[in-house]
Amino acid sequence: MAQPRTTTRGLEPREAHEARIGSGAHVRGRIRGEGSLVIEGHVEGDLAIRGDLTIAEGASVKSEAVEAHAVTIAGALDGDVVATGPVRLAPGAQVSGNLRGSAVAIDDGARFAGRLDCDFDLPPELGGASRAPQGEARARVAARR
Amino acid sequence: MASTVIGAGITIEGEITTDEDVVVAGTVRGKLSAKEAISIEHGATVEADVVGGSLVVAGTLTGNVTATERVDLQPGARVVGNVKAARVTIADGAQFKGNVDMDV
Amino acid sequence: MASNVTIIGRATRVRGRLTGAADLDVQGFVEGEIAVSGDVTIDATGMVGAGVQGRKLVVRGAVKGDLVGEEAVLLEEGARVVGDVRAPRVAIAPGALVRGYVQTGQARAPRAQATTSAAKPAATRVPAPAAARGAATAPAAVRVASASGTAATTAPGKAQGAGAARRPPPPIVPALKKAKGQIAKRKER
Repeated sequence: MAQPRTTTRGLEPREAHEARIGSGAHVRGRIRGEGSLVIEGHVEGDLAIRGDLTIAEGASVKSEAVEAHAVTIAGALDGDVVATGPVRLAPGAQVSGNLRGSAVAIDDGARFAGRLDCDFDLPPELGGASRAPQGEARARVAARR
Repeated sequence: MASTVIGAGITIEGEITTDEDVVVAGTVRGKLSAKEAISIEHGATVEADVVGGSLVVAGTLTGNVTATERVDLQPGARVVGNVKAARVTIADGAQFKGNVDMDV
Repeated sequence: MASNVTIIGRATRVRGRLTGAADLDVQGFVEGEIAVSGDVTIDATGMVGAGVQGRKLVVRGAVKGDLVGEEAVLLEEGARVVGDVRAPRVAIAPGALVRGYVQTGQARAPRAQATTSAAKPAATRVPAPAAARGAATAPAAVRVASASGTAATTAPGKAQGAGAARRPPPPIVPALKKAKGQIAKRKER
């Protein structure tokens, strides 16, 4: 269906619902969109979409940053995720990058290396709010002894 | 039934404070203080001052003991330290070296 | 006699280190480091103010410190962790909250800044058999890449955990390797 090699810059899905980058496609460039996106092929470049992002099994994305609402990864991602919704790594996922979202879940079997930055407070016995960058660094230094 | 159990393979270096019962079968070095009953089992090693409601010792204890109710040293217990409690029993076969103060 | 389980009860506070060969169930508050060779469970009421090392760590409570599991670290709903998480297998359930660096044993070579910390924990640990189970889901390329550069101390055939951290940046996904090749070609132009 898709051509084996497609180089596209500034791809913008126009429909409000799902856009798809098929398994044979290679995209290099920035992707922006209002809707959701399913990536089954290979993307190199930043993504910023309003809707949900799915990186399917077998797909790969290499990016500085991937921005979306909910993010589900079953394939490979080399890049940071900044999500306004939940982030989930399925068992076959291979992700190298930092994750930020309303919630982050990593299924058993997923491969991951990177930072997680959920927004929450520890109980007061453990120092309570340590959200400020310096507070966090201090807390981690203290925890590491 | 105990709510805190320091198992046989565990070593705690520091201070233990609890409102519950404690059973020590492992090693504690530092300080142990419980509101209720403390049991130092056979094989346990406690090198700490111990404060509790009541204390039963069958293991090794080096440190001072203060109990609001009673302290019982069972056969096989080896205790070096001062004991202060309303009631104290030292069973035949227990080894003890220290002062006993029953004037609580 | 029950297996070697140590229970730090809900109303108990330990200010100090906890070490030994035993399983541990923390329902209370441990202010010092935990380093045991057995499994560690931090219950929903449990709180630990320093690092935790064990074979399999299951966390439902709060931890301010690094979690290092020889076999796995499982963060369940209700877990609140500020600290790094490292184990051959890491699972974070929805509802578990983490702030820190997380690395699974078979992660592909992370970006430059993380590589140094990646090599550190794996070097001293013998990966547990569970690591091999995680490997079963991986594409064949992973096993090929991680079989090389394995430390002599690790168990034969189960070297995924240590090998993964040491090997040079591998093309894990065969498709990605192809894509990288094409990108490299493009860059040459």
